[in-house]
Amino acid sequence: MTEKDKRPTSRREFFANLFMGGGVFVAAITFLRDVWMYLYPDLGRRRYTKYMVAKTRDIPLGKARRLLVGRVPLYVVHLEDGFRVYSGICTHLGCLVKWEEAKNRFYCPCHKGIFAPDGTVIGGPPPRPLDEYKVTIENDLVFITIEQRQGRWS
Amino acid sequence: MKAKNDVLTGQKILIGLFSFLLVATLVIVAGVEMKKSISEAPEIEITAESKQCISCHDQKGIAPGVVEQWKMSKHAVQGIGCLECHSAQKDDWDAFTCPESDVLVARHPTPKDCAECHEQQVQEFAESKHAHQFWVLKNADRAIFEMPIATRHGCEQCHNIGNIWPDKSVGECDACHTKHSFSKAVARQPETCGECHMGPDHPHIEIYTESKHGNIFKAKGKDWDMNYSTADNQNIPIEAPVCTTCHMDGNETQPMTHNVSARLAWESQAPWSYRTVWNEEKLGSWEKKRERMEAICKSCHAPDFVEMYMLTADLVNLQYNEIRRFFVKWTKRLTEDGVIDRIQADGKFLSNPVLNGWDEEPEKLMYYAWHHEGRRFRSGALMMGADFTQWHGIWEMQEDMIELMKFAAEAGYKEAQVWVDTNDPTKFVPYAIYDVPGNAWGINTRANLTPYLYKKFPNYWEEVRKNVKAAFERGLLSEKQWRYWEKRYQNKEYYLGTKFNTDDVFDIYSKRNDIDLEAMRKQVVEFEPPAKMFYMPKGKRISGWKFNRSRTNGRH
Amino acid sequence: MRVKEWLLERFPIDYQKFVEINEKIFIKEPIPYHMKKWFYAMGATPLIIFAFQVLTGILLTFYYIPSPEMAYESVRHITEDVRFGFLIRGIHRWGSNLMVIALFLHMVRVIFTRAYRPPRELNWIIGVLLLLTTLTFAFTGYSLIYNQLSYWATTVGTNFFKAVPLVGNTVLNFLRGGENVNPNTLTRFFTIHIGLLPPVMTFLIFLHILVLRLHGVAEIEGHEGEGHYPFYPSHFYKVIIATLFLVTVMSALSVVFPPGIGEPATPDQTPIHIKPEWYFYPVYRILKLLPLSVGIYSLVAGLIILTFWPFIDELFKQKMPKVKMNYVFGTLFVGVILILTVWEAMVF
Repeated sequence: MTEKDKRPTSRREFFANLFMGGGVFVAAITFLRDVWMYLYPDLGRRRYTKYMVAKTRDIPLGKARRLLVGRVPLYVVHLEDGFRVYSGICTHLGCLVKWEEAKNRFYCPCHKGIFAPDGTVIGGPPPRPLDEYKVTIENDLVFITIEQRQGRWS
Repeated sequence: MKAKNDVLTGQKILIGLFSFLLVATLVIVAGVEMKKSISEAPEIEITAESKQCISCHDQKGIAPGVVEQWKMSKHAVQGIGCLECHSAQKDDWDAFTCPESDVLVARHPTPKDCAECHEQQVQEFAESKHAHQFWVLKNADRAIFEMPIATRHGCEQCHNIGNIWPDKSVGECDACHTKHSFSKAVARQPETCGECHMGPDHPHIEIYTESKHGNIFKAKGKDWDMNYSTADNQNIPIEAPVCTTCHMDGNETQPMTHNVSARLAWESQAPWSYRTVWNEEKLGSWEKKRERMEAICKSCHAPDFVEMYMLTADLVNLQYNEIRRFFVKWTKRLTEDGVIDRIQADGKFLSNPVLNGWDEEPEKLMYYAWHHEGRRFRSGALMMGADFTQWHGIWEMQEDMIELMKFAAEAGYKEAQVWVDTNDPTKFVPYAIYDVPGNAWGINTRANLTPYLYKKFPNYWEEVRKNVKAAFERGLLSEKQWRYWEKRYQNKEYYLGTKFNTDDVFDIYSKRNDIDLEAMRKQVVEFEPPAKMFYMPKGKRISGWKFNRSRTNGRH
Repeated sequence: MRVKEWLLERFPIDYQKFVEINEKIFIKEPIPYHMKKWFYAMGATPLIIFAFQVLTGILLTFYYIPSPEMAYESVRHITEDVRFGFLIRGIHRWGSNLMVIALFLHMVRVIFTRAYRPPRELNWIIGVLLLLTTLTFAFTGYSLIYNQLSYWATTVGTNFFKAVPLVGNTVLNFLRGGENVNPNTLTRFFTIHIGLLPPVMTFLIFLHILVLRLHGVAEIEGHEGEGHYPFYPSHFYKVIIATLFLVTVMSALSVVFPPGIGEPATPDQTPIHIKPEWYFYPVYRILKLLPLSVGIYSLVAGLIILTFWPFIDELFKQKMPKVKMNYVFGTLFVGVILILTVWEAMVF
């Protein structure tokens, strides 16, 4: 069917063509989208891991406790309004902060960054409060939820 | 040409339709995919230190099975790793340094460690009789009979459930919650209780297996999920009870408890059956404890059935006491008269007076009539083990009684000789009697027409009533039970079934019985095989073979 | 038309001729009139499915890892973790099943219409080769999942070669890359599945279509000369419809019956019931029914008859012109395969 053969298409045929073309186009796009999503690595899917970090009775009010989850140092702090868990990594340049019980503060020895027990910056260069983890308490056990992007396959 | 165009247009529309159908399908596919990615639940893991324990144990092959069991535990799911239970301080009694790291490890987590999270359960357990080391308290000196090495893997293995640890915590949680999976299902498995509650002296697992309860569990239990929680007044989710259902688990009305004594109204393992006073200040009277047990029964059973069943079992316990009283009376008498001696050393009697010793016939008989047969008699009655109440129970106790009386008669007691010689059947009940009209299962119109005592003594029930009433007044039966007994007593013709005449039906069976007896007589009893017997006591020759005369003579 | 001229300058072909050839070969390919009926027009389905197998197969290799340690895990990863992985794998799996069915139906149709009659016998033989290639595809592909069932199906399946006289052991050792199923077997099967067979298949398909085109589509006996119509647009649309239909079906099947993964293969533990995929049931049934060597011989005999059937049919035609031997053969072919399949499906 070359250009010359083409008679003016009737309205009916026009819609039929449109329906067919549109359908095939949409179907092809949908299918190709799936194929693309299959091939493109899935960066967005988050995996959450729950760790038990402490028993509530182990940490009296106002005290903190350091522990390692994987290689990440964490601090579990018992504040008036409940338990908080902070990353022990200074928000300034990534040194490890220390809990100073006597002074009731977190202290980063690298550039003298100082954080309050609630994680806020009270001195030094850190640009933002300590990173905090989501805390849930079940049966006197303190759990944190950590987002993990690293799995065996990514 | 027009027709052809129509066909083409139709095909185009078909293509369009199929395209959209494909799109619709792919949308569904995408929906499935979405759902898959949304339902990503948090995975629970454990701390770095515990991970280290696990990988090392796996690699070095040091009890790697422990790790595998733990992986299946709820602990693993909850992120409870190794050191949550196995952590130790420097001077702890069971602390040792892991040779592969510098971590201090507790070799034996004790109930104290479990109590870190399961405080209530540990507390309840410590208040239960499971935690009571009565065997050390009372019978330590019987280790002279079963020497210590035998008790190591004998007595101790079971009785360690009441271990008093150096840290002063009491109990052994993993006796039932087998480490390291600590599975509820395993703890609930009747065989777990049956690890210890078995054998001739307390065949509880055997009784359970004989019972309807055990039978249903055997038939269907493998399909039941035994990991359920009964912590918050839920319905019992299984069709028939296992041991824990009645003794520990909760139901709609009862809280779950680790105090196995909370629902027990009898010390039916003791030499005498007496009502429980264990931890009364907390658990209340025996009636309160019985109430708890009945509340569990009533999850499935009608109140009337429970009332009657328990009353009957209670009367069995009371009956046991009277039988024992007879044994004790005679053994005491024989001891006092010096016919038998008690074991003693350094001027002290070795062992508890009720035990008396084991080395002489009457003592032995009394011991078995309590510790083995007497317990079977009572436990069978309390837990639906008919055969244990009957053949392994009362039957053997009565036989022991006969042996005891024979011993006394041979020792020259005239009273005993009279007992041995008499033909009066009442000699077999030389003790007070308990009874109740009828049984829990229904009305048996014939069973109560035969007993000798019923027929011989028209005042039988009046006499029995005196004993039951006295037992009630002594606090051995509750008022409710006494009233229930009275109700049955007042209508005993109904409950005994004697007011119903079913002779015509019974006659059918008695005729059949005659036929049976006749058949037995004809087939076997009157039958005499024709050949001569080979056994010839007088040394006669048979078929060319001669007895050795000198030897047969020697025998005579 | 600047682009076209620019291109023609750099790719100097005779455009006019190209258009002519294109028209002659594709657009105006003469299609016999009976092909208007769907029943006769399904010979392209295996080709369509094969195209999707190639597409999804390539997509699967993006994630599949052909090593004994990782094969199962990577299949699980594709099925459970990768977005739309279950769809891609589902289409590939259902495609393999549908392809066998489509081939079978195509063959049955060809037998009953005697489309292989002279001078088209060679195309039938090519067709039989295509069937064998497809089955080899299916067998090797199934083994790649490396779960308990597929592992043992592979072990048992390859074991049958032992009974083949003379060359059996050599072939077996070659296929397995050792005496037993071992890591080499998996990589071998993988290479055969994705490296060796696709070009073989493509070449055979090309031959099949080439011969078909050279002869033209066979007309139905007794209805010759009813005329032809051009491939485009009517028949082209038919193919499109069939394609859309097949993708829809395969996608829907992937959702309703998603591809499973089963238990990972444990070479030291044979599962209780080993069965190959259903399309090997007839072969499996025969091998179970007869002593192994007899079974193999009869399979080879059957295959020879199947391969040279057009010639055999012609012989019959000359001896007994009245008897429609192809009907007998076709009925036997369908009947035997169906009975054996159902039989095997019903017993353990």
